[in-house]
Amino acid sequence: MPGEYDVEFVERGDREARFLVRGATPAFANGIRRAMVADVPTMAIDEVRFIENSSVMFDEQLALRLGLVPLTTPPEGEFVEDDVVTLSLDVSGPATAYSRDLVSGDALVTPAEENVPIIELKEGQRLEVEADARIERGQTHAKHQGGVAVGYRHLQRVEVVGDLEEFEDEESRIVRGVIEDEGELLNAEEFDNDLAKRYPGKEVRVEDVPDAFVFHVETDGSFTVEELVTRAADSIEARADELEEAVQL
Amino acid sequence: MELRVTESADTELSIEIGGEDHTFMNVLKGALLESDDVTTATYDMNPEQSGGQTEPILTIKTREGVDPLEALEEAAGTVREKTTSFRESFEAAA
Repeated sequence: MPGEYDVEFVERGDREARFLVRGATPAFANGIRRAMVADVPTMAIDEVRFIENSSVMFDEQLALRLGLVPLTTPPEGEFVEDDVVTLSLDVSGPATAYSRDLVSGDALVTPAEENVPIIELKEGQRLEVEADARIERGQTHAKHQGGVAVGYRHLQRVEVVGDLEEFEDEESRIVRGVIEDEGELLNAEEFDNDLAKRYPGKEVRVEDVPDAFVFHVETDGSFTVEELVTRAADSIEARADELEEAVQL
Repeated sequence: MELRVTESADTELSIEIGGEDHTFMNVLKGALLESDDVTTATYDMNPEQSGGQTEPILTIKTREGVDPLEALEEAAGTVREKTTSFRESFEAAA
């Protein structure tokens, strides 16, 4: 029976979130995770023209650094492959060139992180470049990865099964991720990852909840977590559509 | 996505799905196995360095009287329904 998912947020922010998905098969959960890492396209600098580089680093080294600066990625469909956004940077020493010094030709594509140092320039050194950003998938280069830390764990159900014997030593019982305690979701960090602290003097049983996955998603700032997850689902859907059509022919 | 049938029989099909990797193939395989009409579904993929067949090859065996190509079409539909339903649930929670 397809569908019937149940999603619940445990923690949420723009760039980092934790949410529970119930009713997913391991294959589906992993498909979504992999799509978030390698298939959701983001903007990144791909070509750099150096007008002046009197810094201590080679052009190639600086080009790599510029490529790794995360850029905000416009809404789906706004850009297609081979569309180019030009950014320029002009910094004279003594100063440090930061990602915020990149001036974009398009308000939709700007550095997502302002304080990425690119290079420290000394007196008399200057860096002037023009860079083209392109939209690509993480598969081609890690700089196009929108999801930087994406993973999931099973939800764990904790049950109190009895009391510890009166004079028994309390041993710490470490768990990670998110636990479910009588329907309540709780990040294990809240009790120091130690069940002995949350249930002192109790004997507890921990078991994985089948088909319930707690995703932890962190983006590089190209877009929000919600955007990343929906785009990952879209990317799998687009392929399913394509396959269905191709088979019909 | 380029499809190329490598082996075909009444209830058995091997098909190369060009340009895909584990991300989609495993989801698709999972969807195929959920169907009662499908008895076997698997895919084989080799690493780029192997120098041989690197595109995934999907192999499906179906119950008597069921066209494997139709089972594949149905599974693609299942995957689409799954993603749609997942997105809806996610957006509702977000």
